[in-house]
Amino acid sequence: MRLFLSGNEAIAFGLIEAGARFIVGYPGTPSSEVIPMAIEIKKKFGIRGYFDWSVNEKVAFEEATAASYAHIGSAVVMKQVGLNVAMDPFMNTAMTGAPSGLVVVVADDPGPHSSQTEQDSRFLAFFAKIPVLEPSTPKEAYEFSKRALHLSRDFEIPVMIRSTTRVSHSREDIEIGEIGGLEVNPHFVKDVDRFAATPHFRLILHKKLNEKIGRIKNLDWFSDFEKYFEGEILIVTSGVSFAYLYDIVKDNNLEDKIKLLRIRMPYPLDVEKLKGVIDKAGCKRVLVIEEGYPVLEMQLKTVMPSIDGRLSGLVSNEGELTIDKIGEILSKAGILNRKSCDFVAPPFKRPSLCPGCGHRSAFFVIKQVFRNSAIYTGDIGCYTLGLNLGAVDTVHCMGASVSFAFGFDKVFSLFGKSDQVVVATIGDSTFFHSGITALIDAVHNNSKLILVILDNSTVAMTGNQTTPANEYSQTGEKTKPIEIERVVEALGVEFLRVRDAYDIDGMIEDLKSAKDFVLNSKSPAVLIFRHPCVYSGEGLKNNVRFKDVYIDKELCTGCKVCVKQFECPSLIFDENKEKVFIDVVTCIKCGQCVKSCPFDAIKVEQ
Amino acid sequence: MKLVILGVGGMGAISLSKIIAQMSTTKGLSIRSSEIHGMAKKGGLVEVQMKIGEGKSGVVLQKSANFVLVLDEAYLGYGEAFLKDNRVGLIVLTNEDKRWVIDNLGDVRFSSALVLGRFVKYQDLFAKDDAIKALKEFKFFEKNTIAFERGLA
Repeated sequence: MRLFLSGNEAIAFGLIEAGARFIVGYPGTPSSEVIPMAIEIKKKFGIRGYFDWSVNEKVAFEEATAASYAHIGSAVVMKQVGLNVAMDPFMNTAMTGAPSGLVVVVADDPGPHSSQTEQDSRFLAFFAKIPVLEPSTPKEAYEFSKRALHLSRDFEIPVMIRSTTRVSHSREDIEIGEIGGLEVNPHFVKDVDRFAATPHFRLILHKKLNEKIGRIKNLDWFSDFEKYFEGEILIVTSGVSFAYLYDIVKDNNLEDKIKLLRIRMPYPLDVEKLKGVIDKAGCKRVLVIEEGYPVLEMQLKTVMPSIDGRLSGLVSNEGELTIDKIGEILSKAGILNRKSCDFVAPPFKRPSLCPGCGHRSAFFVIKQVFRNSAIYTGDIGCYTLGLNLGAVDTVHCMGASVSFAFGFDKVFSLFGKSDQVVVATIGDSTFFHSGITALIDAVHNNSKLILVILDNSTVAMTGNQTTPANEYSQTGEKTKPIEIERVVEALGVEFLRVRDAYDIDGMIEDLKSAKDFVLNSKSPAVLIFRHPCVYSGEGLKNNVRFKDVYIDKELCTGCKVCVKQFECPSLIFDENKEKVFIDVVTCIKCGQCVKSCPFDAIKVEQ
Repeated sequence: MKLVILGVGGMGAISLSKIIAQMSTTKGLSIRSSEIHGMAKKGGLVEVQMKIGEGKSGVVLQKSANFVLVLDEAYLGYGEAFLKDNRVGLIVLTNEDKRWVIDNLGDVRFSSALVLGRFVKYQDLFAKDDAIKALKEFKFFEKNTIAFERGLA
């Protein structure tokens, strides 16, 4: 079976083919496509297994660890910042081990294209003392995933697959092997010294982990180095950088100038063996080119101090190592004769909430009510783009909108500025992921923050995955929906309002009441502004749709209030006519912009 | 062959790349692509770079593409930067084309099939039949074929 698959889809095929029957995770670019593909494979090939989203990465990691304890091949999938959330179980599972195999799929995002950090997860594999494999293409993502689960099972150790945006989101034609025909027999062999180890036994587990990693270090295939070309300059490389270097050599006929040494497993790395191979090659210069942090370089430098790379300043210490950048590095090193790089960048277009998005109406109202007097703590998701409406002042990490609001409110209240209003905005999925715990703190410790939960009933930013509030899971199975308002009430929140985010007047009233409430109390006010995501098929189909939404050119003064304060991409200012017009291609005719015009120039036709 | 497809979210750039991939696999050619679509659905650029029958990565450098398929005129200048030979191999979906697609087929997404027609016309690796065979594997075969024929004309 030959398929044209993305790196992430290929990982799903590799894991399932190797026997993974429990794959969980939390969506996050660039990792989100693994689990939906696993679900598709399950349906297509009629295999039994549990493949679905978890509420967050920490929970997912623990669920998958238990599945491995129960002798089911398992995997957990997340983006690089998701691994930070899962650090606690991640470190611990390294110690206890994974009896039936646990593959930790982590997609890093150098650039970053859609993340808060550019961190290199290979360092976390190093930190936890677990092996990490680094595919350079989708085809390798498929092959390495199979290898990873086998290695994990053989040594009862979690194994990381480290992908990057370009591997996850590239596509390649791949020959897929047979899927199915796996006998699964869940059982749990109790062993409290291992699975409920007290500190004394942890020491023993640590020793065992060290022994495992010592044996894996010189394992065939994993510790082998791929060698390409016969030049005098040797480049040690791995991951997507290897694919780029290979193409540069081929395209520029550098076969007699460069020699590539490709590493499959950056940790544990047998540096003595690597040094032996490099010495034997007798090259006059050694460079290390790898995507992310200097993981290979720092290890190799301990035995070969003269190597060149990030630590010597040849390679930049931040930003994605694109094929263009590698070309520049080779020119700088005098290997490639390339004229100065005149890279043409695409015209910049500011990302914006979709036309008709309920979040926009909510942010518009929040800003109308509190103007510049409030501190606005935002969160991770589409609604980060509340930035464009001036209603987001901080964006940090999942759930931080609530804890940041708590921190701001506490210090202002404590030092005589208790009239300072703090408004937090968080999405429904992020609230489930990390917002609830912070809200518990706010209720328990008398914080008078205002929390607006922007509920569009989906994980919109990463491609409309399901949330715990949905009636059906990603697999289409009926689930028990968790009602956000009942969670909020159960925590003891005394002020709660629920409103459709298209009801602008209603939201204004709610926010004013919330303000009065928090200024006269010591407890948080929570508002749920709910409107289905219009980017989802269902949301758009059921959305309000006027026959027409248009600008009355007589009434439009060209004041740009709608363009600036409502910020819908379908409202465009015509510089020549000095009037606003509506882009009919992108407008979904929801009519939400009507209230943003101070001159009533935006009209709707029923 | 190296090619680059540039579009905005919802224009069918990714689908177009999948159709071309299908055409390549049917012919037994290796196919690799690299997609950049981080914030695409927020109205941003969708960029697909492809290598047919060559390379290890799907990435295409500027000044090296044989063909550049531009689905939105805003990215004309950016698209030109990828061409190996100045102005040879640039295939553009004009606003006029888009209007024709919306008026005749009801959805701007069929524009990608029109561009496919124009692409097939200007190169000799793939013939009309290769494209028709591939289109059959995708949804909306009839409307796609109408758009494709328009591009081929």
